[in-house]
Amino acid sequence: MGTTLEAMGTRHDRHSDKDADFSAYMAARQAALYRTAYLLAGDHAGAEDLLQNAFAKLYLSWDKVRDREALDGYVRRIMVNENSSLWRRAWKRREHSADTLPDTGVVDAYDDGMGGVLWSFVQTLPPRQRSVVVLRYYEQLSEAEIADVLGISVGTVKSQASRALAGLRARAPQSLHPHQPGDDVR
Amino acid sequence: MNHTPLEDQVHDALHRRVDPLQHAPFSVTDVRRRARRIQRRRAAAAGVAVAAVLAIAVPFGLTATGPAQRTEVPPATQPPAPSIASGAVLVDPTSAETLAQTPVPLLDVDAPSLITPDGTTALPGPFSVLTPYLDGWVGVAMDEGAGILRFLGADGAVEDGGSPTGGLVGSPDGTRVAWSEYTGSAWQVVLADRSAGAEWLYTAFPPGPEAHRVEPVGFLSADEVVVRTFDDSLESKTYVIGSGGAAVEVTGLLQAESASAATGLVAGPTRITADASCSGAVNGAGTPVWETCEHSIGDFSPGGTYVVGTDPEADANGSPTITVLDGSTGDEVVTFEVALPRRTVGGFWSQMAWEGDEALVVRLFRGEEYDLMRLGLDGTVRRIDIDSAGASGLTVAEPW
Repeated sequence: MGTTLEAMGTRHDRHSDKDADFSAYMAARQAALYRTAYLLAGDHAGAEDLLQNAFAKLYLSWDKVRDREALDGYVRRIMVNENSSLWRRAWKRREHSADTLPDTGVVDAYDDGMGGVLWSFVQTLPPRQRSVVVLRYYEQLSEAEIADVLGISVGTVKSQASRALAGLRARAPQSLHPHQPGDDVR
Repeated sequence: MNHTPLEDQVHDALHRRVDPLQHAPFSVTDVRRRARRIQRRRAAAAGVAVAAVLAIAVPFGLTATGPAQRTEVPPATQPPAPSIASGAVLVDPTSAETLAQTPVPLLDVDAPSLITPDGTTALPGPFSVLTPYLDGWVGVAMDEGAGILRFLGADGAVEDGGSPTGGLVGSPDGTRVAWSEYTGSAWQVVLADRSAGAEWLYTAFPPGPEAHRVEPVGFLSADEVVVRTFDDSLESKTYVIGSGGAAVEVTGLLQAESASAATGLVAGPTRITADASCSGAVNGAGTPVWETCEHSIGDFSPGGTYVVGTDPEADANGSPTITVLDGSTGDEVVTFEVALPRRTVGGFWSQMAWEGDEALVVRLFRGEEYDLMRLGLDGTVRRIDIDSAGASGLTVAEPW
């Protein structure tokens, strides 16, 4: 089973191609995916950890993901699953610290205050509801796309989104109640 | 009262929160480092999972983890010794009884997939060898005629690998695997616990071209592996790599073909004369133990009791016979002979697997057809009746 120099060169080229392809993808999508990671994790450290972990798992599976159009979905899936897993492990700790508002690392001069309030409530949502909210209202994925990312049915996506909005309404100040309960989810 | 729909407010709130965010981007190096951490973490977690799988696997006797797992839980009473046939046994796939389930892991090259008693797993490409490792597998992927090391996850997806490899062997007790890999400047041999309970043991060979291959042959004890090396000369060298990582040369063989962890013997061709090609076994010190000029030597059975002998004149069609020899003496025990229709070529292929010390699973080639056969040392012949996805047919996944 001898190997020619030509074959060696081909393999080295392939390995270099992989790193070059992966590097190009990371450079192009890192900033956008970091924002999603931040919304899921709630802070910078968590977001960096989540995204780097997702990129590492993508790197390990790079040869498997043949559809390059699906890479973002693959990374999102890893991040939401990982975040849910981390969230479950930290459940008790987060319960006890719920009185403390999460860090407010971003100052938005155009925010009238409602954005910050809503954000703080989004962070109190259970992980799956929070994932649905982020994917639906930030990433603006369709219900079918969210179902695919989360590995759940479209019906579950609808019910989770509905519960999340109901929860936000229930917790938010009256001034943030533009609609009555029972409104359709977009 | 705010009249903006709540959904839009949430959308705006999320965007306002993160749109201005900046962070120092990761480099590919950062990601690679994290990937290695993930692999280590998986390895640590897999130890418990593997132990659980083994506990389940014991009642089946033979699974993808290998036949030697059966010794993990000794039976309450000593089972009767199986009867061993003698003389010649004719192997005719057309009249043989069939087995609906494989006793050893198989590879369907064309699917490609791994077939075990527990089910079928799709593979990302064709493999010549594949064996359980951590919560997935490690194997030799076939890439344009060259072997490439690949690590697969539990779902069969590629997780790591990519190095050229000279092969992969598993220990008979099922706890360890060893492989060789070319780093780009030198060959190295890696000894690893399947459950990753210990760090990998690396043994580096002097820098050289990839063509100067290093190939693992088999385990000589629980923590010693035999390898053979090639260079520009016609001769191969044999080394034993011990638990300390040092490689000690073993003399007495022209080229090592197999090793037995149970008996500490290494086997292979010993000499070629004008009218014979002889093979034999030596111990770890290179001292000859036995020799035969009637057979070429293949793998020892896991218990070391037997060793495979094939026809020294075997050609590309395979060996017309497989003779099971006594592993300690080289004496013939039983011979299996292919029943071939007239004007049909064929034979047994060299890639085969032992099912304990009781049977061999071997690929049989007849004309244009392939069959996978179970040859019991009690003289029973069974055809494994599992369809393959294409013309390439099935082969054993763990050829040892």
